[in-house]
Amino acid sequence: MFRKRHSQSVPQLNTTSTADISFMLLIFFLVTSSMDTDKGLLRQLPPPPVEEVKPMEVQQEHVFSVNLDAQGQLSCEGALLTHEQLEEKMRSFIANDRTEHVVSLSVDRDATYEDYFRLQNTIVSVYHSLRDAEARRKYHCSYAALSSSQRDAVNQFIPQRISEQEQQR
Amino acid sequence: MRKMQPMFRRSSHKLPGLNLASMPDLIFTVLFFFMIVTHMRQDEVHLRYDLPAGTQVTKLQQKSALITVYIGPLQGAASKEYHVQVNGKVVAVADVAKAVGAERQKLSVENQERLVVSMKADRKTPMGLISDVKKELQKSYALKINYSGREGE
Repeated sequence: MFRKRHSQSVPQLNTTSTADISFMLLIFFLVTSSMDTDKGLLRQLPPPPVEEVKPMEVQQEHVFSVNLDAQGQLSCEGALLTHEQLEEKMRSFIANDRTEHVVSLSVDRDATYEDYFRLQNTIVSVYHSLRDAEARRKYHCSYAALSSSQRDAVNQFIPQRISEQEQQR
Repeated sequence: MRKMQPMFRRSSHKLPGLNLASMPDLIFTVLFFFMIVTHMRQDEVHLRYDLPAGTQVTKLQQKSALITVYIGPLQGAASKEYHVQVNGKVVAVADVAKAVGAERQKLSVENQERLVVSMKADRKTPMGLISDVKKELQKSYALKINYSGREGE
């Protein structure tokens, strides 16, 4: 009548394959994730021009104008330059006229993007080296090592003042 | 005859089996890391482009507030006519502002403010087209722009 109670224990769940399953998911995510790091030159565009507002008048002595023609040649005040010469000239110009300078770019519509990119690269490089020098002078470390508030201070010390327009024919 | 006892007594107990119970947890942790970090690319690129190279390129910080504008000739087409693609769609140059605005609406509110437009343009693109696209971007107030490039000379 009274059956003897079986005292069997519940068998353990076999979880050996969980590792395999999660490995499979892991591999799926590894393969599908886009690890391509987007690299580039970050630049700020001016807001769209408003009709009523007159363009700001800038005195001629503060303007450093750079021309990029259809053949990809750089010129500054009528003289042809290489990228290295431009870099040198622009660095000394900005160093002399820190807060008031304006770099005025005018680019031909037929110039290629690659030349424009190189020009932007040169400009970024000039500002970067100037800011780096300032950071070293003031904080004794490189610009990259600064905290964000220190960086803001350096950025304000050497602002980027760039204006772009299309070349008039 | 008994065997001679070795000089150092060999311990004769068996090596216990390695407990693998926590391995799935470890792998799950890595899996979750990848699931969170990964950013699935859903837009198909219809254009072919060869990025220019520069020495000053920096990594783009946030990928969640990003709209990509591709400029280049159509994939597989022989013609050298340049087209513009905003995220997943090929659009006419005049419609870029509208397309960027529509893509922007899809982002969350705080991402809309720090929106960055990454411009992936072919090296040989004429600047006229680029500046037209830039004017369109200005119109849609997408003012932070990243000229995408490779690292190198």
